[in-house]
Amino acid sequence: MSTPLIHIEHIARTYEMGGETVHALRDVSLDIHSNEYVALMGPSGSGKSTLMNILGCLDTPSLGVYTFKGLDVNEMTDDDLAEIRNKEIGFVFQTFNLLPRATALKNIELPLIYSGISSQIRKERAIKALEDVGLGDRMLHRPNELSGGQRQRVAIARALVTEPSIILADEPTGNLDTKTGIEIMKLFQDLWSKGNTVILVTHEEDIARHARRIIRIRDGKVESDTINPNPVTSFEIP
Amino acid sequence: MIRISEIQESFRIAFEGLQANKLRSFLTTLGVVIGITFVILMGWFLNGLDAALESTVNLLGTDVMYIDKWSWSGGQNWRKTMQRKNITYQQAMEFCNSVKTAEVSLPEAHKWGTTVKERDRTITGISVIGVPYSYSQLPAGTVLYGRFFSQFEDEYSTNVTVLGYGVAKALFPEGDAIGRTIKIGGRTFEIIGVIIKRGTMMMDFVDNQVIIPISTFFGVYGMTGRSISIAVKAGSAEKLDETRAEATGLMRSIRNVPPGQEEDFSINETQTFKEQVETLRLATWGIGIGLTLLSFIVGIIGIMNIMFVSVTERTKEIGIRKSLGAKSSSILTQFLVESASLCLVGALIAFTFCSVVIAIAVRLVPEADFLTPYVPPQLILIAAIVSIIVGILAGIVPAMRASALDPVEALRYES
Repeated sequence: MSTPLIHIEHIARTYEMGGETVHALRDVSLDIHSNEYVALMGPSGSGKSTLMNILGCLDTPSLGVYTFKGLDVNEMTDDDLAEIRNKEIGFVFQTFNLLPRATALKNIELPLIYSGISSQIRKERAIKALEDVGLGDRMLHRPNELSGGQRQRVAIARALVTEPSIILADEPTGNLDTKTGIEIMKLFQDLWSKGNTVILVTHEEDIARHARRIIRIRDGKVESDTINPNPVTSFEIP
Repeated sequence: MIRISEIQESFRIAFEGLQANKLRSFLTTLGVVIGITFVILMGWFLNGLDAALESTVNLLGTDVMYIDKWSWSGGQNWRKTMQRKNITYQQAMEFCNSVKTAEVSLPEAHKWGTTVKERDRTITGISVIGVPYSYSQLPAGTVLYGRFFSQFEDEYSTNVTVLGYGVAKALFPEGDAIGRTIKIGGRTFEIIGVIIKRGTMMMDFVDNQVIIPISTFFGVYGMTGRSISIAVKAGSAEKLDETRAEATGLMRSIRNVPPGQEEDFSINETQTFKEQVETLRLATWGIGIGLTLLSFIVGIIGIMNIMFVSVTERTKEIGIRKSLGAKSSSILTQFLVESASLCLVGALIAFTFCSVVIAIAVRLVPEADFLTPYVPPQLILIAAIVSIIVGILAGIVPAMRASALDPVEALRYES
């Protein structure tokens, strides 16, 4: 098999909190390859958010090995990590995390600003990304002029605009109604079938069932790591 | 490395922030507005002072020195100076006939505080100066209109006079002085010329004089009991040292000053004026800089405070930007640009305010013609640079705090 996109080996993450050491992650090892569709599942407090932060290079493990595309993340400086986040990872958050004062287009341009792309090309790529998520007619709207589903689409467009290696989505449907949630899941399905690597972080079984591989985390460890035998492929709106 | 796209983004954010918090931004910049106002007004005033001094000194002639019983700088012991013997006309003439390095040298007799009359108009506090015809070769003898008196008029003690600009303006506001007569020391003089305007508000005494032939002067006021000044024009500023050395030696020998003894005369140069005004300049700067620093300290504290608030308010935004690949340096730049922009806006307000103040001041005090009616361009540049420096000083600590935020913590922050 080819080199995994993500390779983590016995990683642990501890925090100091009020003089006590909290073991958010105890011992996690896993590989994720290109074009996988993975769900990271677990109840709150299981450590899945910590794992997501580490996978997304927002945080680094206290112990263990993390290699991203064969590069040792532990060796990287803060600027290197920022560059990985900028070029290789597209985040989609539960609360969308759009900048309220910027238009949809400006929000999508943001990661391209930090990779130093000229304003002309930035604009072209942002328009394309917005059209890809079906919001070509909402370019100059600000987040508060968009519905929840539309905001999440803008956030997804922003995650895609740099053509990252991984889409990392943290409870992407958590703030959406069921119907809109299904639409968003359809979008992830499309992205995956076009060759993208998608990692979903969720505590909802219904959402995790869309993924091809389900990794369950509990008490800072991998509880199970299985192939999903019956992934959801129909997006009928109930 | 910070990219151009990031700097552009920083400016966009900064002005968006300013627009969103107009009142807060304005109040915050008040300290800077006051500081920059001081800088501009002080600079404007000193600029005018310099220009005035420069033009006066130039009109007196940078290469001209005056040998006198008195010293212009007044630094010496008054009593000692009083005891000096007068410089007599004979000594002055001996000097003028012997000096070799001077282009022009001539005696000047002064009568201070006299009154001149033109029919029913009288002006007081005028100095009468008696000089030979060669005075017209000095910058101080440049005629605006009419002419200077001739060698013939000089030698035959004619009653002709050339007026200083101030006298001509006071007596003949219509500009029709030539050919008219005035009374000086009880005698009637025909006006044949007017000297160019030389003084400024600070030194207008140089325009409040009337010039008559020295032979006529002695006829009116007598030759004894007065000390004659000797005007010496070196020819160029470079020749000053040489001429001064010769003049000192020559004068010592004429006045029989024994070797090793202090001179009993002074050699005054236009440079002396500059030195005196320098003290005024330094005092203005000292007070001005003190006030400016004080208001900048207040300004910096205010802006630093608001920048801390801004960083806290935008913790989440910082987290989002970092998650999208903003480096610490990008965040640092963003906040520095914001606080520098804030100060730059302050400078803009100060500039507008000063422009209005200056326009009004120049209109209210027309005598202050040495002051420019606008903010001098170099001051605009200085104000801009100073405000940016103040902005960076005020913003550096909050910006460093923002850039050091942990992305995970920042993303979790809910305002």
